[in-house]
Order: sequence, then structure tokens, then C-alpha cells
Amino acid sequence: MGWIRFGSVTVLALTGALASGVTHAQELDYWVYSDFAQGEALKLQQTFIEEFTAKHPGLEITISGRGDDDLLTGQIAGASSGTGPDVFMNSTSLGAILAQAGALKNIYEDWMAMPEDFRAQFNPDLIKMCTPQPSVMYCLPYTGYGSFMYRNLTVLEEAGIDPKRPITDWSDWKAQMRKIQAAGKKAVPDMSQSWLSLANIYSGVAAPDEWGIDFDNQKTRIAPEKLAEATQMLLDIKPYTSGTSEDDQVTKDLFTTNQLAFLVSGPWVDPIFEQAAKERGLKYDRVLVPGAQEGQYGGVKGFEFIAIAPKANAKIAWEFAAYVAEKKQMTRWAAALGRFNSNDAALADPQVSSHSLLAITNEASKHAIFNRPPFFVKPYPSDYWSVLLDGVADIVEGDETPQDGAKRIVDELNELVADE
Amino acid sequence: MKRPVRPGPREGWPTSSRVDEMQKTFWNYLMLAPFMILFGAFFLYPILSGFRYSFYDWDTVREPVFVGLKNYETVLGSRNSRIAAGNLAAYVAITVPLGVSVAFGLALLVDHFAGFWGRFFRSVYFVPVVMPLFLAATIWRWLYAPNFGMFNLLAGWLGAGNIRFLNDPDVMLYSMVAVDVWVSAGFNMVILLAGLKNIPRHYYEAARLDGATKLQEIVYVTLPMIKPVMIFVISYSFISALQVFDLPWLLTGSSFLDYGGRQKALLFPVMDMMGRGFGSLSFGLASAYGFVLTFVIVLLTAAIFVLQKRDART
Repeated sequence: MGWIRFGSVTVLALTGALASGVTHAQELDYWVYSDFAQGEALKLQQTFIEEFTAKHPGLEITISGRGDDDLLTGQIAGASSGTGPDVFMNSTSLGAILAQAGALKNIYEDWMAMPEDFRAQFNPDLIKMCTPQPSVMYCLPYTGYGSFMYRNLTVLEEAGIDPKRPITDWSDWKAQMRKIQAAGKKAVPDMSQSWLSLANIYSGVAAPDEWGIDFDNQKTRIAPEKLAEATQMLLDIKPYTSGTSEDDQVTKDLFTTNQLAFLVSGPWVDPIFEQAAKERGLKYDRVLVPGAQEGQYGGVKGFEFIAIAPKANAKIAWEFAAYVAEKKQMTRWAAALGRFNSNDAALADPQVSSHSLLAITNEASKHAIFNRPPFFVKPYPSDYWSVLLDGVADIVEGDETPQDGAKRIVDELNELVADE
Repeated sequence: MKRPVRPGPREGWPTSSRVDEMQKTFWNYLMLAPFMILFGAFFLYPILSGFRYSFYDWDTVREPVFVGLKNYETVLGSRNSRIAAGNLAAYVAITVPLGVSVAFGLALLVDHFAGFWGRFFRSVYFVPVVMPLFLAATIWRWLYAPNFGMFNLLAGWLGAGNIRFLNDPDVMLYSMVAVDVWVSAGFNMVILLAGLKNIPRHYYEAARLDGATKLQEIVYVTLPMIKPVMIFVISYSFISALQVFDLPWLLTGSSFLDYGGRQKALLFPVMDMMGRGFGSLSFGLASAYGFVLTFVIVLLTAAIFVLQKRDART
């Protein structure tokens, strides 16, 4: 009797499992950055999913927001186990490591099979970036950012600075910082603590090809004399910093509570400040990152791609990726959120170009250096960023002169790259 | 009718009592089977597989290449491993005795209160244990913030300069230990408190009649009576400390591409292992790292248990 009961339950359980399995003919796991799976961004992503699934009966797409590390580990682990996401986004700066891990399907043939008017929508430089070798294409360019400077207008007013007068160069910026310090506020976060902050300063003096790694010649592209100038700037502004890192929650809190004047960051911080403006009357604007000389600007740009895993459902995954990255969707994305993307046709749309956040991001990206170039070639040596940041911290601490320190850092980076 | 003769034990057949025993235990093993299958699939197999990969150069895509003990040599010889091991030794040496002492102090304090206040303090001290670690780290990053953080404001009032709790390599480890003790004290306190509650009150009464002071009561009554609990708390804290990962990761804002904070002052072996795996795709090396760490943890834990056993005998 017991066996009969056991058998019945087993049969029922198996039937249930099979029945639930046939509800959807196909399923896609779609992984995005956490901020794409919240609030307005999530609503829009869900709209795209609903539109696409309406045209593909039996298809179910599950969107999942992930933090940076979670996204990377999930994609790498998924690549080896076959259990990872089917469609996913990530930063182009991690493209090489994902390509090496076999997480990215070569979509060259799918791409070439698309109509010419589809292919013409995308930024050609980014298409080149996604295509590191002939006939090898790993991704579709998707979203992106350019860094710019948020200014707290209340702090500037308290320091007697006219926000309408643009900051011309680093010496003008330093003069403003002195006034802010005198008014009992802090001017900037400690920009020597994170690679993004450091790059934001360095880019104010260096050319775009003076950042990143030259893997062919096994050396860093960082120019020691430019790094010396940048670290001298960091040394000069040290007394005016809050001591906190640019990406620290404390820094954002200081900005929203009118204790900090400037924050160089990306568009992802804007929703926090917008909310603070609505709820607490925060007054802020956005300007380009000042450069060393007049007419020169700093800033970092990065792009996120959408890619598909080399799995059995790659065909439908590609169709979905192509759908969300297409002009119509990217126009809605940019118009609703003011977020930059890689679809030039969408960015040129009049309903998009007037958005203030998008306009500053777009402008910033024209002057900015790429975040971690080159993309999809080779992963950076594991200690690259710590050698750079520790060396810069030593200079800012006064342990070395900017010239000596910069030279030593570049030598150490060259050794690291050569050892890879 | 002649009954068939069942072969005896000499012929290799189980005796009737053995058959009964097997029948009896069969169902027990069957009930345990789901756990054992899952345990084998998700615990034993990955461990064995990881051990195998520790002898290979493997990036998850290309065919693994057998490299013998090279991964182990790399791990033991690398600069980062040495830094991580040094940091770990210092961290364990400080955080375990300090954490257990604070927890014991809190347990003694809470034990003094009965009724509402007893429950109140127990709950208050336990809050950090149930708090998500990322939240605890965010709170402490604020407390430690230069210029604006509470500790630096206090330091300023006392005339001290700005302390870079999370950015000065000479201070970072102590800053982390403070957070760790804050987080773990509540858990250890509850266990020690349970031990304290089990001590018969008449031992204290006898000690008081003999003229013992409070300190003498603790030294000669409390500590010997809760020795097994104390050893458990020390062992648990020790093993947890050896595996430290999430707290330094969060406090330093680490990622797989850059971890350990300034001058790697908060670099620990598990962080380094994760970074080598997911940051550099050197999974064979990461596996070797994991086994070196496991070997050290097992060795040290075994030493604790041996000492404990020897102590129990004497």
C-alpha cells in the first residue's frame, strides 16, 4: 500500500514538473546591472520584454538585476557550466575576460545578416570595439556613460562663487576650492582613491591614447610626465578634499547635505541627486570636468554591451538583444531616463537630444578617455590598478615627488604587463 | 518437508540477525539518501573536482593543462599570498582574543540583568549579528569617514588630527577588527550567556561565603564552569576569522579587479583566491590556494581539538 502511495506521489510530482516545463516553449534569462532593474529603468525594460514576447508566443524572458561582481562571476561560472544567463550586459572593460572565459557567442554572422539600416544605427567605433578580429564580433553596443562634474550650487553660493562663470582650467578650479575650504566646506572627494577618479584628473592633461595598455608592445600607455602633472594636481587639492572616495555612499551624502561642492561621477548618480532635489531642495547642476588648460576637459567614458551566451537558444537570444538595442527602444530609453547609449540614430532623435542629463553625458563623452582600453583583447594584469593607485597614494602622501613617483609607477606597470 | 538450509556465515551469507539488522537500517539509510546524494553532488564532488583542478592550468574554457605542483608553488611563493597570510595572522591574533573577551564581558553584564532589561540588552547586543553585513559596513564607513565621521569629529575635539581609518595602512587592520568585534560579539555573547545560565547559583554562594571577590568568582567559578562553551566560542571565532572575506571586501570597496585596499593592508587569503579565480580566470591556481588555506585551517583546528582533549584528560 505504501509503495502504491509513494508511486502515485512520484508520478504526480513528475507530471507536475513536466507540465510546468512545457508552459513555455523557450525561456531566456536576461541579466542587467542593478540600476537597470529598478524604478523607471525596470518598467521600460519590462515594456521591451512584453513587446518582444508578444511577437514570440511561448517565450518567457526573466530579467534579473545584478551587482558588478555578481554579473561577472555569474557570467564566467555560467560559461563553464552552461547555466548562466542567455542574454546579458556588462562593461566593455570586462569584455576581454568574458571572451577568454568563453561567455560570449561570436555574433558576426547574425550581425551581418541584419539589414543595413539596422547596422548603420550604431556608433561605428563601438562596433569596431566589439569586433576585435575579422569575422569575430562579441557584442552589440548597448548603453554607456561619460563622466562629468556635479556642482552643489548652495555650497558655491556660500563660498561666494558665481556658478554661472565656468571653470576655465585647473588653476581656476583650485582657486574655487580654496574659497570653498575657507567657507568651511569641502571641495572634492579624495580623487586619488579610485581608478575612475584618478582617470578623471589624468584625462584633464593627457590624450586619449595615453591611457590603458599597449598589449602588442607589452607596456602601459600611461605617460609618466602626464601622470606627474595629474598627481601634482592631486597633491595641490589635497587640503580641500573630503577624504572620502568618489564612489563611497558617504561622499554622496555629503553632496546632498550641502557639505561638498564638486563630485566627478557618471549619470548613475543623478537619480540620487534628483530625489534629494525633490525631497530636500538640493540645488545642483552638471558641467564638464575641468582640464589643465583652458579648452581642455577631463572625463572618462565607458560602454556597456549586450551579448548572448553560446547556448542552444542563441538564435532567439540574438533576436531579443537586437530588439532592445535597436533605435526605437534606445530612443525611449534615452528620452525617459536621459541615459546615454551606443545607438547614434537614437541619440540624434530630437526628443532625446534635448534631455539635459543626456546632453551633458554626450558632450562629456566627446572629451573623455576610454575607461580601460583596449577592449576584448586581454584582461589587465591582476595587480595593475593596485600598483597604480598605491603609487599615486604614495605621491599624494608626500612619500615621493610626482616626477619620481610617476616614473616608478610606469616602470612597475610596464614590468607587470610584460610579465603577463 | 525438508526446509531449505540457508548457508551459514562461513559460506559468506549474512546470519539472520544481520539480515534483520540490514532490514532495520535499510529504511534509515534510504531516508538519509537524499541528503547524502545532495551532499555528495554539491559538496564532496566540487571539493574533489577542485582538488583535481588545483594541479591544472585551467581558465574554464581551454582544456585544462596538467602542471603538477606549479600552482601550489606559485601560491606559496607569491607576494600577494605572503601579504595576505601576514594580514591574516595579525587579524586572527587580535580579533579572536579581543572578540571573545568583549563577548564574555557583555555576557557577564547581561547575566546581571533579569526580566525585561536582561532581554533588552540581549536583543540590543544581538542586533549587529542579524544586520546585513553590507549595511553594517556602510554604517562603519560613515563612522570612519575623514573630516565628517563621528570618530574623526571626536578625535578633532580631543585635538588629534584626521585619522584615515580605512585608508591608512597602519590603521586599517585595527579599524576592521573593531567592526568585526562589533558584528560578532552578540553571537558569541548569546552562546556564553547560555553557558553562564547553566552554572548552579550555589557555587557562587559558596564562593561568597568563602570571601571571594567578584573577580575571584569569575576566575575560579565562572571560567572553569563554562570552559567547554568558551572553547567552542574560541574555536568557532578562530575558524571564522581564518575565512574572513566579506567584511574587508566591503570596507575597502573591493572588486575582482582591485581588492585589498591601499597597499593591500586588508588583503586576506580568501579575497586573493577569489580575485585569482574570477579576476584573472586562473581557476587552477585559485583551487590550489583554496586547498592550501583548507589545509592550514584543518591543521590549526585539529591542533585546537587535540589541546582541548589533552586538557580534558588532565
